[in-house]
Amino acid sequence: MNLALRVNGRTIHADVEPETMLVDVLREHAGLTGPRVTCGVGLCGTCTVLMDEQPVSACILMAPLAQGTEITTIEGIPEDDAVVRCFDRHHAFQCGFCIPGMVLTGRAMVAEGHAADREEIREGLGGNLCRCGCYLKIIDAIEEAAQ
Amino acid sequence: MTWIQPTSVDAVVRARAENPEAIIVAGGTFLGILVRAGMLEADDWISLQDVRELTRLQSLGDLSIGAMVRHRRLELDEDVRGIWPGIAAAFRAVASPRVRNVATVGGVLADADYASDPPSMLVASRAVAEIASVRGSRRVPIEELITGHYSTCLEEDELITRVIVPRPQGPAVYRKLRTRSQEDRPSSSVAAVVHQGTVRVVVGAVSDRPHHFADLCATWRPGNEDSAREIGAGYAERIEYIDDNRGSAAYRRRVVAVEVRRALMQVSS
Repeated sequence: MNLALRVNGRTIHADVEPETMLVDVLREHAGLTGPRVTCGVGLCGTCTVLMDEQPVSACILMAPLAQGTEITTIEGIPEDDAVVRCFDRHHAFQCGFCIPGMVLTGRAMVAEGHAADREEIREGLGGNLCRCGCYLKIIDAIEEAAQ
Repeated sequence: MTWIQPTSVDAVVRARAENPEAIIVAGGTFLGILVRAGMLEADDWISLQDVRELTRLQSLGDLSIGAMVRHRRLELDEDVRGIWPGIAAAFRAVASPRVRNVATVGGVLADADYASDPPSMLVASRAVAEIASVRGSRRVPIEELITGHYSTCLEEDELITRVIVPRPQGPAVYRKLRTRSQEDRPSSSVAAVVHQGTVRVVVGAVSDRPHHFADLCATWRPGNEDSAREIGAGYAERIEYIDDNRGSAAYRRRVVAVEVRRALMQVSS
């Protein structure tokens, strides 16, 4: 089927089977490699994108379900974004593999007022895994961005 | 391969009656995992994404939840949190915000996955599913809807259109026991809802479907620790448990006794 998806403010077209996952359309048809495939079951958070400002797992979202929505990947976030600046200031990363998902999840939490304290941030990040173990600094960064 | 997006319930049930092999897609979180893992293949898909009437949420009398209402909306809606706190808590307990932003009420019931959070609370809350087909519509209590592992009493041409939850008259508690990580599925899922002095305790996620034992609940003496312990022991005894990555059958038998007792003491206070 022919899909037209709104991604980072532009329209991308892809001719794919209906069961193609959104993350594969983004990576292979739009050249956006910020969202990554890791666990493939929506558990680890490296494939996180925002769909109408809400974080979703792009690795288990059939691409046709994204029609009519606004998708934002890490590539669509301005470099001077407050959450990105806080991650930078706190050196809240090592290898960086999980960071697109962490930043997008953090941004949604901050925007909606769900980052009131460290406990709430911890809970909100429950589905984003960092194998380098940078959680404390990531929480520091989101806490500061929320202030 | 076809993917259709009807815009009304009538059009969905007509499409499904004409092609019972077509798979209905609601939020797509469960289907997405199955498809990605190669466990599900289909030629035809019927997506509910454009059926506006299924996204209605009404809380004036009983709570009426359209089948396409997302978990996240029930978790955050002020009326649901205020009047049906047990429902809000059970949907809030599911996975991560990423999943809750997409997963739907109709989807979690139609999947009938034993390891989901909401079914025990919906059964404890005496919730009823409204089901439509080209032949008409009917209502089925959630208790009867889920019949076993990934099985429901839905006929192949039927669609869950909404879930109705009566307005509670007493306290409700949802207790999720996680044995691994924060976004994990429950090792046990215990819901207790008090209605006009009687309690409904329902235990989910430990066997093929949620369990409710009315005769045990009828013995409840509110606030009495011994009574809570006896009911907990009764539930632990009667259920046939499964082993999975979240706990052995023997472990589950022990924790269900404790979780039921604690739930009963919580709804007493």
